[in-house]
Amino acid sequence: MREFQSLKFLSIFKGLFTILGVDYAAMEKILQIKLTMDERRVPTIFQDAGKKKEGNQFLKSLWIYGLYSLILVPFLLIGENYIFQLSLVFGIVLFILMTSMISDFSAVLLDVRDKNILQTKPISRKTIAAAKIVHIMIYMAFVAGSFTAIPFFVGLYKHGFLFSLIFLIELLLTVLLVVVLTSLLYLVILRFFDGEKLKDIINYVQILLSVGVVVGYQVLIRSFEFANVETVYVFSWWHLLIPPLWYGAPFEVFLNGDFSSHFMAFTALAALVPILAIYCYAKLMPSFERNLEKLLSDTKTRRQKRSWLDEIGALLFCRSKEERTFFRFAATMMKKEREFKLKVFPALGIAIFFPLLFVFSYPAEGGLEEISKSSMFLFIYFCNFMIPSLVYMLKFSEGYKGSWLFKAASIERASHAHSGALKAFFAKLYFPVFIAVSFVFVWIFTARIVPDLAAVFLGALLQTLIAHKVVNEGDFPFSASFEFAQDTGTAKMLLLSLLTGVFIGVHFIAASYTYGIYIYIALLLAALWIGWQKVFPENKKLGKENSNLALNRTD
Amino acid sequence: MEAENDKVLSIKNLKMRYGRKDVLNGIDLEVTKGQIIGYIGPNGAGKSTTVKIMLGLVDDYQGEVVVFGQDISSGDPSYKKKIGYVPENAEAYDNLTAMEYLVFTGELYGMDRDAAQTKAELLLQQFDLLEVRHSRLSSFSKGMKQKVMIIASLLHDPDLLFWDEPLSGLDANSMMVIQEILAQLAAQGKTIFYSSHIMDLVEKISNRIVLLVKGEVVADGTFEELKEMSKEGSLSGIFNQLTGFTEHRSKARDFVSIVQGDKADA
Repeated sequence: MREFQSLKFLSIFKGLFTILGVDYAAMEKILQIKLTMDERRVPTIFQDAGKKKEGNQFLKSLWIYGLYSLILVPFLLIGENYIFQLSLVFGIVLFILMTSMISDFSAVLLDVRDKNILQTKPISRKTIAAAKIVHIMIYMAFVAGSFTAIPFFVGLYKHGFLFSLIFLIELLLTVLLVVVLTSLLYLVILRFFDGEKLKDIINYVQILLSVGVVVGYQVLIRSFEFANVETVYVFSWWHLLIPPLWYGAPFEVFLNGDFSSHFMAFTALAALVPILAIYCYAKLMPSFERNLEKLLSDTKTRRQKRSWLDEIGALLFCRSKEERTFFRFAATMMKKEREFKLKVFPALGIAIFFPLLFVFSYPAEGGLEEISKSSMFLFIYFCNFMIPSLVYMLKFSEGYKGSWLFKAASIERASHAHSGALKAFFAKLYFPVFIAVSFVFVWIFTARIVPDLAAVFLGALLQTLIAHKVVNEGDFPFSASFEFAQDTGTAKMLLLSLLTGVFIGVHFIAASYTYGIYIYIALLLAALWIGWQKVFPENKKLGKENSNLALNRTD
Repeated sequence: MEAENDKVLSIKNLKMRYGRKDVLNGIDLEVTKGQIIGYIGPNGAGKSTTVKIMLGLVDDYQGEVVVFGQDISSGDPSYKKKIGYVPENAEAYDNLTAMEYLVFTGELYGMDRDAAQTKAELLLQQFDLLEVRHSRLSSFSKGMKQKVMIIASLLHDPDLLFWDEPLSGLDANSMMVIQEILAQLAAQGKTIFYSSHIMDLVEKISNRIVLLVKGEVVADGTFEELKEMSKEGSLSGIFNQLTGFTEHRSKARDFVSIVQGDKADA
């Protein structure tokens, strides 16, 4: 075991923890153990290959945040309208932190597995809870750090020292705010429900939160009339409810010397809410830990439910009994696995919300009528943008250890597992979203876009296939731990998502010729046909072509 | 009854409910120094819940639980210093090596780092695990892991042991060693509270047997005393009788016939 720099840094606050009644030495030991274990999470595939891939995988994936952070830079450079610029910057920061907190660290917060190990030792609950929240904060600090490092230096260069100081303090407050408020929210939910019901509720709250954060960010932008940067900020009372504005205001107060009462109020909220929240949390921590126990107990008995939709889907889309079995299995897993839903549903929500948002918020002079003649329906490609990461998620499961079953059972063709799962994903997740958005779009853009929608749909199928080929081949579906969901293939995923851009480009070119779109559709169909045979060669019915294609297999 | 200061543990009218389900319906138990108590009962009788309450893992119970003269509902965790615990299913931080885990546990119990290390090494050697002390627990077999858990529970020389299924995964030789260790620890004045489903072992090891059924103590005494209560000669016979389970043969017959019936259909 080694010494961790983050723990050395933490020891600065030793006194503070002691005042709060935390046994600092014990907390430090627990944190050291937890950080050591985080370093050792190694994807099972690497262990099999005998390769050692040590080091904290999460920390290695942080560079992507550095890349994302570049979008903050323009906001820092355009001028000194701080309430506008910095509210946006902190809006994005809060968005990133909140998403990361909900999807990656909720599990840590709600973890009950080590209860038997830690709580049986002579350590107070307060200490255990503190260790937990500090553990999360360390990671959140890394996320926040890598997301704001570049903007920080840009700000230092452009706006000077005082700016950076405020920036840094506010960053600390936002991390506190996000972590503690999320915990408090869970605490409230934990009070009122128990068992499986509780887990479901938490799951839905997480999904709603993730979508809500995105929507909230859009609302923030709209609270400025951002036709030009010189916008003058006009206060209305409901702005007090938008946290990013709290964090934009101090810059106005301290740098532009604007002491108007609403800016002072924002500044006060920015500092007081996190501190108040942490005080509440410290008070309520023991009851939080106690109520966590409820996650384990479930006293209800359930009846068997069978989904007719899934049955029909399996009959309609699958050709063999085995494939049907996997289709149904995958459909059930997608419905029941909370972690899966948590990672996937927010993306789906956004896939519905964004195309509509872009179209409706477009500042067109002629209103909807003008829009209906444009090619803005291409925003529906936003649905396709999500595909690669969703397909990638098919690999993971909470119960990944059960996947020995696939190897022990006599499965005729492993590829049925993949094709069945892919078909289930497409039928159950992508298709409903696509249909919902298409419905609205046909209403706006009239039936003339139907061929285009067909092209988008086929493009989605092709992209699903490509994404599957690149990221999932080899592993059975639902056979890896979610622990590794965020580590591997971040760059690959990014490229695969950007593939949507290629589809849009080709679509755009095709649409500029008469009948071009039909040729594009034909091409897509052909590509799909060939691609499907290549990726799932054994599924082919005709014997002759099958053997030829089988020879062409790369693996 | 022994002297008051020999009392290690005392439970009075302990009740517990999860939601609408009563798990414990008023348990009374007094445990004195040096006893080896076999805590037995069918699945779902409330054994683990009782142990969890005594360890402070569950605290919305009713009744009084006093350990080493301290009412544990006070929230002060210091009484746990003299307790050693082996959890069911050998739950541990699997990504740690055996040594790291042991030293960590020792430190949480307030031991000095070096002392914990030295002692852990010596104890691992006794179980022939010295070679693998720097391997991760995740690579250990169930029996090896169980031995590490047993060492972890003894490292700080506790006075009271809670062992939940301590012998699962151990081979016959190791079981005998553990059995002997238990006897000698009890002779030194340690109190051992353990649960198991292996009736032959409970019969041999324990000097007191507590049988729990549906959240109530239905029998409490030495094996000899229990034998007098029942016509059966073995503990598993007594267990069957006291839990009201007699139809094991017909149940098995039905089961097997269903298995074979399935074959005929296919």
